[in-house]
Amino acid sequence: MLDCCKRYILVVCFIVSVAGCVKTTKVKQVSIDTFFKDPQQSFYHISSDGKYLSYLKPTNGQLNIFVQSLSDNKVTQITKLNNKSIKYYFWAGNDKLFYMQEKDSLDNYQSFIVDKDGINNLLVKTPPKTKVEVIDQVIKNNNSILIAVNDRVAEYFDVYKLNINTGERKLFIENPGNIIRWISDDNGNINLAVGSDGVNETIYFRSDNNQKFKPVITNNFKSSLSPFGFTNQPNHVYALSNLNRDKLALVDFDCKTGKESKVIYENPDADIMDVVYSKTLKKLAYVTYEINKRQNHFLDDGYKEMYGQIRTLIPNQEIKILDNDQYENKFIVRTFTDKNPGAYYLYQSNTNKLQRLADINPQINEDDMCEMKPISFKSRDGLTIHGYLTIPKGKKEKDLPCIVFPHSGPSQRNSWGYNNEVQYLANRGFAVLQINYRGSIGYGKSFKNAGYKEWGKKIQDDIADGVNWLISEEVANPDKIGVYGYGFGGFSALNQIIYNQKLYKCAASYSGYINIFTYLKGFPAYYKPYQQMMNEIVGNPESDIDYLKYSSPIFQTDKIKLPLLIAQGGRDSRVNVNETNQFVKELRKRQIDVTYILHESENHQFRDMENRVAFYKQLGDFFEKQLGFEK
Amino acid sequence: MKAKTDSYRKNFALIISFMVLISISLVLALILGYNLTKKYIENEFSALKIDVLEKTIAPYNTLFQNKIPEISFYQGFLDSASAEKYADTILKSYPFVEKVLFYDAQVSNHPIEDGLRIGNFSVGIKKLYQFGLNINQKDKVIFDGKKPGSLSLQSGDEFNKISLKIASYIETADTTKPLNSEQIFRIFYSIVNNKISYMNIPRRDDIKIYQDLMFKSGNTSPVYEQDVFSFELNPSKLKIINNHPQLYRYISIKPLSYDPILEKPKLINTDIALPGPFSDYKIYFGSEQEFLNKEVNRRFFPIALAVFVVYLVLAFITFLIYRNLNINQKLFSLQYDFINNLTHEFKTPVSVIKIAGNNIMNAKELSEKEKNHYGRILDEEADRLNDLMNKLLSFTQIENKAIKINYQDINLEIFAQNMIDTFQMKYPDYVIELEIIGLNTFSTDPVLLNSIFHNLIENAYKYASAGEKKLKIKIYRLKKEVAFSFKDRGIGIEASELDNIFKKFYRIQSRYNQQGSVGLGLAFCKELVNFMNGKITVKSKIGKGSEFEVILPYDK
Repeated sequence: MLDCCKRYILVVCFIVSVAGCVKTTKVKQVSIDTFFKDPQQSFYHISSDGKYLSYLKPTNGQLNIFVQSLSDNKVTQITKLNNKSIKYYFWAGNDKLFYMQEKDSLDNYQSFIVDKDGINNLLVKTPPKTKVEVIDQVIKNNNSILIAVNDRVAEYFDVYKLNINTGERKLFIENPGNIIRWISDDNGNINLAVGSDGVNETIYFRSDNNQKFKPVITNNFKSSLSPFGFTNQPNHVYALSNLNRDKLALVDFDCKTGKESKVIYENPDADIMDVVYSKTLKKLAYVTYEINKRQNHFLDDGYKEMYGQIRTLIPNQEIKILDNDQYENKFIVRTFTDKNPGAYYLYQSNTNKLQRLADINPQINEDDMCEMKPISFKSRDGLTIHGYLTIPKGKKEKDLPCIVFPHSGPSQRNSWGYNNEVQYLANRGFAVLQINYRGSIGYGKSFKNAGYKEWGKKIQDDIADGVNWLISEEVANPDKIGVYGYGFGGFSALNQIIYNQKLYKCAASYSGYINIFTYLKGFPAYYKPYQQMMNEIVGNPESDIDYLKYSSPIFQTDKIKLPLLIAQGGRDSRVNVNETNQFVKELRKRQIDVTYILHESENHQFRDMENRVAFYKQLGDFFEKQLGFEK
Repeated sequence: MKAKTDSYRKNFALIISFMVLISISLVLALILGYNLTKKYIENEFSALKIDVLEKTIAPYNTLFQNKIPEISFYQGFLDSASAEKYADTILKSYPFVEKVLFYDAQVSNHPIEDGLRIGNFSVGIKKLYQFGLNINQKDKVIFDGKKPGSLSLQSGDEFNKISLKIASYIETADTTKPLNSEQIFRIFYSIVNNKISYMNIPRRDDIKIYQDLMFKSGNTSPVYEQDVFSFELNPSKLKIINNHPQLYRYISIKPLSYDPILEKPKLINTDIALPGPFSDYKIYFGSEQEFLNKEVNRRFFPIALAVFVVYLVLAFITFLIYRNLNINQKLFSLQYDFINNLTHEFKTPVSVIKIAGNNIMNAKELSEKEKNHYGRILDEEADRLNDLMNKLLSFTQIENKAIKINYQDINLEIFAQNMIDTFQMKYPDYVIELEIIGLNTFSTDPVLLNSIFHNLIENAYKYASAGEKKLKIKIYRLKKEVAFSFKDRGIGIEASELDNIFKKFYRIQSRYNQQGSVGLGLAFCKELVNFMNGKITVKSKIGKGSEFEVILPYDK
């Protein structure tokens, strides 16, 4: 008896000591709220004269505008919305702000102009169910800005001049029927427009207000020519173009001849993502592109020097310029890294002074976060696929439980930087693999177009190849791999376990498309050319019915055998909740372990913070359980 | 003796009554078991029809719950080719579907001739197809929207019914809430006799658009595709799955009005109504009484067998109890006998002592001769009593294993000769020969060996006629044992008694019994020999004599 007791005590001691050891090597688990709560202060802007800062901050659960004086740091709350948030705002001059509210229950977006001290809140009058788009934020003569409103015909946006003092708008140009984008010049004239029949884009140009728009060049949806501003040379515009080349390049385009007159910058490996133009210098400042990490190519030495100075003030951080005053003296700067969501700064170029405004998420401790590494591998048909691998902190890069996290889109991409979902999963001990499979943007048009009609096939092959690569590198434990995605990513997660079941243990789909027919139905029925484009990108619902059935998880329920987590919003317009219910019902009838999270009031993406946090908690628990994690 | 017979008779009566009782129970259990089984089968006959219904209707349920909602997954994109493919899978997997009608429907605000129009909302038919196993390619299109007015009343009716449901839903639909399953069932299904119609469920955004079409008069709208399918079902082609063939001999699908009483009056029958579109029909079940009886017998057989086995086990136990009682009875009578004999055994010396005592008391004076005579008598009788008591005591001791073997080396010649001398002194007419071959000393307990010798020598003297009191003792060595042979010329033992003479309290009824023994001696010897790991055997012939042989192990 005594012996028995002794042995028991020994075992207990052993367990306690082992548990103790495990605890000490374990990385601190950061709470879910920390990752997924709304930021405190965001969307910083600076007034044209550089005297006021503005930002959005949640009050009463909604985002409202605040203005802060840079001279005495006095903060004024400009809007007091308590049932919907600010969707969008900007400084209209030095004293007024233009803002747009989120959609109300009647599908109306309402826009207002308000003084910087919160008085004179003027409604921009528009009929119900119409929308306001802003063409040019800069105040031109007559105290007006340029907007477009679709009040005449729902599909056509006409150009109006909006008087910011009275809120009155005056028709400027009537849309002939197919213009989707208007581009203004510095004088507030609109002589450049982009028209579309839904598939093909045509650039229209006129030399002055009195003339008629004439088509300059038409290109197919498979390539892109996108003008964004005039050069100093008459009739010449800056544009991003991949006409006759694979990667988007910054070009100078002659609207008179309809020809590209010169290439300003081209990167052999990546599309140009962003172009920054200095209105003060009337000159291109820099362009950005991303292969593995975001890169800047400077076209102006002054900007290059300034960047260098900011970098020395905030070392080891990626830097983005968000806004500036009209003198290009004060800049709103945002920083970030893979481990840090970053902060907002105010930079004054004349004094080289940097002032920290706010952290995006002050509770994130950089030391607890995990490193994100760019990776690449060859697909089975020889394409180079880029991606990112995040290894949980304090773990060896070997035999890890792993979550594959394909991005949504598919014509989007993963970028290097802080990602709260990735960091959350890595913090829970999973290696996270993100893959820029074919169809992703940023790597040229042939790579993007390679994803057409391959949603259920080659794109899925790329993801599976990524997993196999991860196994061959011995990073992943082949018995502990899960797949999770949102939207198209959720669609991919489901497709992965349907056609590559052996690679995975489980899958989670957050608003994942389960039926491509429904996805296609989501696009307007009356646009024949548009339907043709969708037929080419996604598939023709009439002639490609077998492929679409093959790719749509809802038709393949009998092939699903692994545990699933499905999250769905009841108001999702892209994924029909009735279909998801039916899908879950059929799986459960077949004794598949399905965790189903349904929030009736949510849309494609969960807006309510509680719902979001609850979802991520269940997601984490699901993977911990399925991938054999002891808590 | 009376008590003995009484108790014997009482036990027997008890056992007899017990046997009667369990036999009655057996019969009762069998009757009860049979009746319960019968009742149970009757209950099953009416209860398990639900089971058959469920199995039979299962393919219909999958059609209804899985295959029909699948139409919605196509979101109205089905055309003649894909609809035919879909219809083919249905027709192939569900033989009770006879015909599939596919209305390629269009929702718009255009005025139409065939179809339904409410306000500005019209649901028209672009084309109507029919698919079935016996329908030719050329008969597949039964209506074309380009040739208005040719729609048959029957096909138009089905289409209008479901269109009306949709239209009335759209009129009042709350597009902020998703449809629940109850609404879906009510609006998008139309279930009538042998027919299910279904329209694909539009997305919430489509319903909004349809609402606009209905209430707003505007430009000519684009055309929105909807798919309506109508399935014509034949209940008689439902495959009946009789998963209880032992209960139901006949199962068939009959109209609700069917009554078998005219055709088969003696049939036991039950029925259950079919659900949904088959509600005019029922599944009818029937079996003859004999058929059910067969099943009752089949089910009852193992029960009867079990009851019977229990009965047999009880009877066997009763037999064992009876046998034990019998043996105990015999033992009891033997002991009773023994006490009787022992009493006599003690009585003789006691009465001799009493007589001697009286004589001594009554004599005025005792002569030397008389004194010696009475002294000898008293001494002898006291010895005899002592001997009796010793035997009894030792016997109990050995039986209870209360003594230990005390090994000593003894010289056999001296040991045997001493015994012989003692007996010859006691019985001067006793002739005893001794022969020892092959050994001198032997290691054993002298007291125990002495008892064996004493008993056997004494017996040989007792059970011999006068003049034949002769004994030959032979001791010789076997391989690992020593044999002691006692051969007399006594009266001998009957062969039938040979097995019994070593039993306790056993005594051969004979005239020699009065010699002063109760038959304990040989049983005692056997106990002793067994105790010393040896064995004792006997050979005998009536009138010629007996030979007892004791074999003891040489080594300890």
